[in-house]
Amino acid sequence: MTDLRVPAERTVAPAPGREPAPEPATGRLAGGESYRVLVWRRFRRSVSGMVGLVLVAALLIMAIFADFWAPVDPKASDVGFSPPVKVSFFAADGSFSPVPFVYPIIESEELDPVTFQPLTGPDYDSPLDVGLFVKGYPYELFGVIPADIHFFAARGNQPVHFLGTDKLGRDLLSRGIIGSRISLMIALIVVTITTVVGTSVGITSGYLGGRFDAWVQRFVDFVLAFPQLPLYLALTTLIPITAPSNVFIAFVIAVLAALLWAQLSREVRGKTLALARIEYVRAAMAVGAGDGRIIFRHVLPNVISHVIVAVTIAIPTVVLLESFLGFLGFAVKPPLISWGLMLQDTGTFSVIGSYPWILSPVVFVLITVFAFNALGDGLRDAVDPY
Amino acid sequence: MNETGSPFAPDERTDLGLHGREMLLDARHIGVAFKVEGGEVEGVRDVSFQLHKHETIALVGESGSGKSVTARAVMGLLGKRATVAKRTSIKLAGEEVMDFSEQRRRRMRGNQVSMIFQEPMSSLNPIYTVGAQIVEVIRLHNRVSRGEAMKRATTLLEEVQIEDPEARVRSYPHQLSGGQRQRVMIAMALANRPDVLIADEPTTALDVTVQAQILNLIRDLQERYGMAVILITHDLTIVRHFSDYVYVMRDGEVKEHGETAVLFDKPRHAYTQHLMASEPKGVALPLAAKTPIVLEGRQVHVSFTLRHGGFFKPEYSELHAVDHLDIQVHRDETLGLVGESGSGKTTFGQALIGLLKANSGEIYFDGVPLHDKSRRQLRPFRSRIQIVFQDPYASLNPRMSIRQIIEEGLIVNAIGKDRRERGDRVRQALRDAGLPDNILNRFPHEFSGGQRQRIAIARAIALDPEFILLDEPTSALDLSVQAQIIDLLRKLQDEKGLSYLFISHDLKVVRALCHRVMVMQHGKVVEQGPVKDVLNNPKTDYTRRLVRAAFEIAA
Repeated sequence: MTDLRVPAERTVAPAPGREPAPEPATGRLAGGESYRVLVWRRFRRSVSGMVGLVLVAALLIMAIFADFWAPVDPKASDVGFSPPVKVSFFAADGSFSPVPFVYPIIESEELDPVTFQPLTGPDYDSPLDVGLFVKGYPYELFGVIPADIHFFAARGNQPVHFLGTDKLGRDLLSRGIIGSRISLMIALIVVTITTVVGTSVGITSGYLGGRFDAWVQRFVDFVLAFPQLPLYLALTTLIPITAPSNVFIAFVIAVLAALLWAQLSREVRGKTLALARIEYVRAAMAVGAGDGRIIFRHVLPNVISHVIVAVTIAIPTVVLLESFLGFLGFAVKPPLISWGLMLQDTGTFSVIGSYPWILSPVVFVLITVFAFNALGDGLRDAVDPY
Repeated sequence: MNETGSPFAPDERTDLGLHGREMLLDARHIGVAFKVEGGEVEGVRDVSFQLHKHETIALVGESGSGKSVTARAVMGLLGKRATVAKRTSIKLAGEEVMDFSEQRRRRMRGNQVSMIFQEPMSSLNPIYTVGAQIVEVIRLHNRVSRGEAMKRATTLLEEVQIEDPEARVRSYPHQLSGGQRQRVMIAMALANRPDVLIADEPTTALDVTVQAQILNLIRDLQERYGMAVILITHDLTIVRHFSDYVYVMRDGEVKEHGETAVLFDKPRHAYTQHLMASEPKGVALPLAAKTPIVLEGRQVHVSFTLRHGGFFKPEYSELHAVDHLDIQVHRDETLGLVGESGSGKTTFGQALIGLLKANSGEIYFDGVPLHDKSRRQLRPFRSRIQIVFQDPYASLNPRMSIRQIIEEGLIVNAIGKDRRERGDRVRQALRDAGLPDNILNRFPHEFSGGQRQRIAIARAIALDPEFILLDEPTSALDLSVQAQIIDLLRKLQDEKGLSYLFISHDLKVVRALCHRVMVMQHGKVVEQGPVKDVLNNPKTDYTRRLVRAAFEIAA
């Protein structure tokens, strides 16, 4: 069905009119549209791609201004395992209040007859007004600008837990929002490293070919053949327990990057192999272009579309890995906050049964994975417009 | 009724009185539109044609003229994005095809009407034997046992003149040559004795000498079974020899139709006249008596190592793609290098200009040895030796603008001192190649095949080379564009004193452009000499076959 393409093409090329016009048509050609315009036009048509793009943008904004969105200081502790509160305009006795408010959860005097834990419940005597752009705990925007305005929180710097609290009484919503920073940062750094390494190894290997290529590919085989999970665990246990949490994170990033570059490099090599034999590369050789120029001007721009897609697909993989390793206690150590670390609390069945809201970090992970995958899907269809 | 079309293309045929045979297929006002970004494009508009029993009609036109789309509309094989116009009426033996149910259509396809395609490589399923594929076609439409169908398949292969049909039914497509695969496709198409055979560019993908055999086979089978044939092609030589009635198409419309002899004798529509005139013609410009040698190869040898057998018992053999050949290209001269695919002509050309390392032999450019130079040492010669490739779709980087493409050679060779001066040279090269110079910021995908080939030529001449290797620069182009490119190449040779090595399998083009010609077969030169002598008086059998295939096809 190859010739179905032809009519579309012909809208541009041929000369209308009865006389067979001389072939170089000029003014009738469509305006010069750059690659970016074409990609964007096609991308806009993909619904899931656009949804992904909006969600990814929202996630990034959330991570960058995390303190602004977080209603409560993520490290302050309050009543443990307190359930999510409801924002309401109606008081318990049915009276209407123009300002939305919540009843904070407090511990009562009574003890649970089985667990001997103090019972918790809403405090109907002291409702807290909530509002937009209220003063809360102080923080530093971008690490330098001091600020204390929060998007949506209780007035008077009172703790309020929209998604409940964990075992130590820390606010889950705030920790989820702040945790996005570490989780996304790990993902972005790992993916940046794997992209740079994978692309350069892939292009070099595919372009040079021959013996060098054969050896590099055997090494890639070797890396891909590692049983990944035991290796992550073994490598992370190498880090001294006393190491500061920054060092710990750096090490985790290094381990993840060391194992994840191989797949991308293989894909890029395949693309490069095909491109190195295509005629415009030979034509560039014929005009005397050197290897560097051919790689940067001819090969790289043509594999980059593939790489962009690979990157958007790789980010959720790393987010999932982080949450998984964090759950096992191998990724991020307190006092840093990440989604994986938050999920560590969900390890026992009785806790999930009694306090299901502590699973809420899963929602953050889900949304992130979905957002990047949808974006990647949309991009995949759009990057090759020719 | 025909408001939009040409005055030379009425809905009815002009020869009814002459032939008066039974009408088999009567198509009126076929219209097909395709959904594209931002609207619809009419692929075919108001095309009417009639087909009588036992005859061959030809749909002729250049790529994009809508001839294949017309055929697919008849078969009901259009893609999802296509919509057929309401006015369309296709009567097959009196029945209206447009009213057929999907099931009835399936019964029609492969049974009453069957089709063979251009690309025999991709039309056969590689994981089934050819016998199994023919059996499938037979059993789809007939209740016969597998064994019975297999017997019929063998007979069919015999009919399409495949040697040793008993063994060949068990072959897989990759074990057959291109010509044999096309024969298998024909056998499949004929399996159920169709009334109409649609042949969509049946020989375009094949070597010239095989083309004639396939077309003769179709004609023989047509006579034997009394089929009607719709031949879709862009090749006027084929039309002239194999069709009774011709429809000339352009931009989705029939511009003119008539009996073959009459139409070729007196084309009336301007486009038909233009098409007839665009057969490559003329000869190379006369040469000054004796010009110095610009490129010389002595005993050039290129071989590839092939590996057979398994991992544990590898066997190696050498394929001599270029077998100790000598070549001399003189200044201002065009030397043609001719041969069928696989003869080693492209390998030879690329080895001569150093894009491919020769195993042994000596290559001199302007008296300076090139064979002992590394890629870096070859740099200074790059601007003097250039190349134009066959496929203008693969030879331009889609991510670069026209300016970037042409300017690249200037930048790497440090020609022109600043951006403005380089820009001027790029514009000059575009003008020389017959293009407007205001397209610098456009991208290759906005141009047609012929325009792209001009851009590729502009890239080559921007460097002011002395020698250009032309690797089949016209074979991917439409006929009328071919002629223009040949004229352009001749003009540039005259103006700039260029020497060409012209690689081609098309002797018509070679005759129009070359001074001397070398004929290659299996890595060896079988014949060489001035173009007139070789083409008019071929000495070897192989050359005779090539010449016959190119100029009289009905060999």
